Amino acid sequence: MNINILPGVDSAASALQAEKVRMEVISQNIANANTTRTDKGGPYQRQVVRFETIMANQFDPYSAKAEVRVSGIEMDNRPFKIMHQPGHPDADADGMVKYPNVNVHEEMADLIASSRAMEANLSIIRTARQMAMQTLAIGKN
Amino acid sequence: MIDALFSGANYQGVKKMLDATTLRQEAIASNLANIETPHYKRMDVQATFASELSRAIGTGSAHTVRGVQARITVDTSATAQNRDGNTVQLEKELMLLQKNMVAHHMQTQMISGTFTKLRSAIKSR
Repeated sequence: MNINILPGVDSAASALQAEKVRMEVISQNIANANTTRTDKGGPYQRQVVRFETIMANQFDPYSAKAEVRVSGIEMDNRPFKIMHQPGHPDADADGMVKYPNVNVHEEMADLIASSRAMEANLSIIRTARQMAMQTLAIGKN
Repeated sequence: MIDALFSGANYQGVKKMLDATTLRQEAIASNLANIETPHYKRMDVQATFASELSRAIGTGSAHTVRGVQARITVDTSATAQNRDGNTVQLEKELMLLQKNMVAHHMQTQMISGTFTKLRSAIKSR
């Protein structure tokens, strides 16, 4: 049996890494919530991360564990917001401007979910350390 | 004589429980890592572990206890709370994490107790 002295930290570390990427994407979405012109032309399109499970030691039930990784950053294909602003430099002939399909409230909710997930994974690392300390203290008193 | 301390069904049982606790910590970590992964199904130590172990300890045979193994399985009893098919619930996992930590503390204390007994026998005080 293969027992890790710090059980669970690999999974937690992979999750911290993945959540960090998600936070970066969220902040990018918020930063570009009003960007009407990008180098690809058109307004900024909201991006979403896609998470994927990696099963480590899948065929060994005595040390199976699931890690997580960002398998891709995808475009959100919901329609852009269209507003009537004839004075805007990116307005079309009818005075309509396409704004990004970013909803700042939605991003804030995702940001909080992400930070909660990070806290949960940090508590895994904390308890793993305590467990290792207790294991090392066997027979000390 | 010393063997008697370490080959009893109870001592072997606590060792098995400690193995299970370490594995469960790994399972909880996997579940929390995948809390946002669509279609992820939570994992845990097999649900029958506790009953298997208590039956084995009940027989009083250390050999039977040694045969019980904790392993990680997909928890088929958990149901998805929302439409992404993920069966992990944050509060439940955090509660299990705390419970598991206390269990680990108890088990290390019980194992230490066996060593303390041996030491006091050697020192005769």
